Amino acid sequence: MSAAASPSEPLQRARGLLRVGLARRDERTVLARLRQEGCLKARMPRPDPGGWTEIVTMNSSGGIAGGDVLDSAITLGPGARASLVTPAAERVYRAPPGSAAAALATTITLGAGGAVEWLPQETILFDGALLQRRLSVRMAADSSFLGAEQVIFGRTARGEQVRSGSFTDSVRIIRDARLVLHDAIRLGGAGGEPIAELLARPAVAAGAAALATLWFVAAEAEAAVGLLRAALDGAEAGVSAWDGMLVARILAPDGAALRRAVIAGLQALRGQRTLPRVWQC
Amino acid sequence: MIAPRALLHLLAWFSPGFPTGGFAYSHGLEWAVAAGDVADETGLLAWIEAILLHGAGRSDAILLRAAHAAADDAATLADIAELARAVAPTRERQMETLAQGTAFAAAAVPWGGTRAGAYPVAAGALMGREGIDAEHAVLAYLHGFTANLVSAAVRLIPLGQSAGLRVLATLEASILAAAEGTRGAPLDALGGACFRSDIAAMRHETQYTRLFRS
Repeated sequence: MSAAASPSEPLQRARGLLRVGLARRDERTVLARLRQEGCLKARMPRPDPGGWTEIVTMNSSGGIAGGDVLDSAITLGPGARASLVTPAAERVYRAPPGSAAAALATTITLGAGGAVEWLPQETILFDGALLQRRLSVRMAADSSFLGAEQVIFGRTARGEQVRSGSFTDSVRIIRDARLVLHDAIRLGGAGGEPIAELLARPAVAAGAAALATLWFVAAEAEAAVGLLRAALDGAEAGVSAWDGMLVARILAPDGAALRRAVIAGLQALRGQRTLPRVWQC
Repeated sequence: MIAPRALLHLLAWFSPGFPTGGFAYSHGLEWAVAAGDVADETGLLAWIEAILLHGAGRSDAILLRAAHAAADDAATLADIAELARAVAPTRERQMETLAQGTAFAAAAVPWGGTRAGAYPVAAGALMGREGIDAEHAVLAYLHGFTANLVSAAVRLIPLGQSAGLRVLATLEASILAAAEGTRGAPLDALGGACFRSDIAAMRHETQYTRLFRS
């Protein structure tokens, strides 16, 4: 909250639009197009050898509030390879009464032979947060997608629980023009069960406050099921592989334990490649 | 009121004798019982209630309603079938819904048949075409789904038959709530929160001793 804001002023809602186009040039993935509006920005550190590049997307509004609208589209041309990361955890604040849910939409389009990693830092939902998030991945038959999303319900270090609020999160993966996965999460909302009570249910989270899902869609994805199961052994997690995909769900008591499990999982799937710098601390 | 012919259809299609092969699927309950998450009548009640209100029960109800409404529209039905296949969160859960849908379609041939595909889509399309009220359709489907899970748990825990019937009777309120909560819900409202049920279904894939296919 800015110091100038007072209760009588209309609430400032953040708007952000980001369009990133990436192309393969010889051994490198380069920026072919960039459009940034409002609070969304992208930075591209020096490309790595091997065709991979890192794109850091940033929300400069200082966190997500009710009514925010952020819209990102990242397009990778044939053979382009990118890791999409964020510099820090995204906080989703309590929405004011009457506020709409914040709407975050991301679309990733992958050309032939392309590869993308969607590896944002965790999302922290404060009590009373309203968030509607969508990730849509359209990929060529021979391209590769690795994604990880982590959600922390409440500021667990201070014992906060998310009592009111709502969270919907959908991940749609369309490969070769066919919908192969529609992974949708839905908690809370008007008339719904309070999120903390829902999380307490044994079939839901048995009181865990941190949730991650990993998705890996690639020619080699199903064959990696054993590696990922071994990496997540000891975590409260499940791994399944079907239809050319690998999906894992992980629960943990807090963000730190969740992050350890997610890093172990990512390392198992990424082989010798080191994790992006934001993941290394 | 339900039309007499519609009642006869529902009694046939959702009787335990209708060969959908439901007895072979536990929806991850086999792991949950082995792990101690579902150990008694109270635990079973809570587990299935969550699945009805926040898991596959709710999702299937939304898919079934959509297929029921689109029963005469092959292109829309094909889209719903693709979505229903993609919504399954694990390999065995996808097999569970597709195999039951295929078996349901084969068994429904004497009634004119229906499209194969995920179970709620196959069942919803048939009931829509035969003019069965959408509310009755959802209740019959969810009752069959629930009775099947209870039956699996009765064998797995094990529970006595009367305990299983008490659970089924108590879950009538959750079946009604799941039907009520999905009335008018668009496909966009799909989504759930039964993460530990998903993890149980995933872990079932490597469970050493298994009676069930999911």
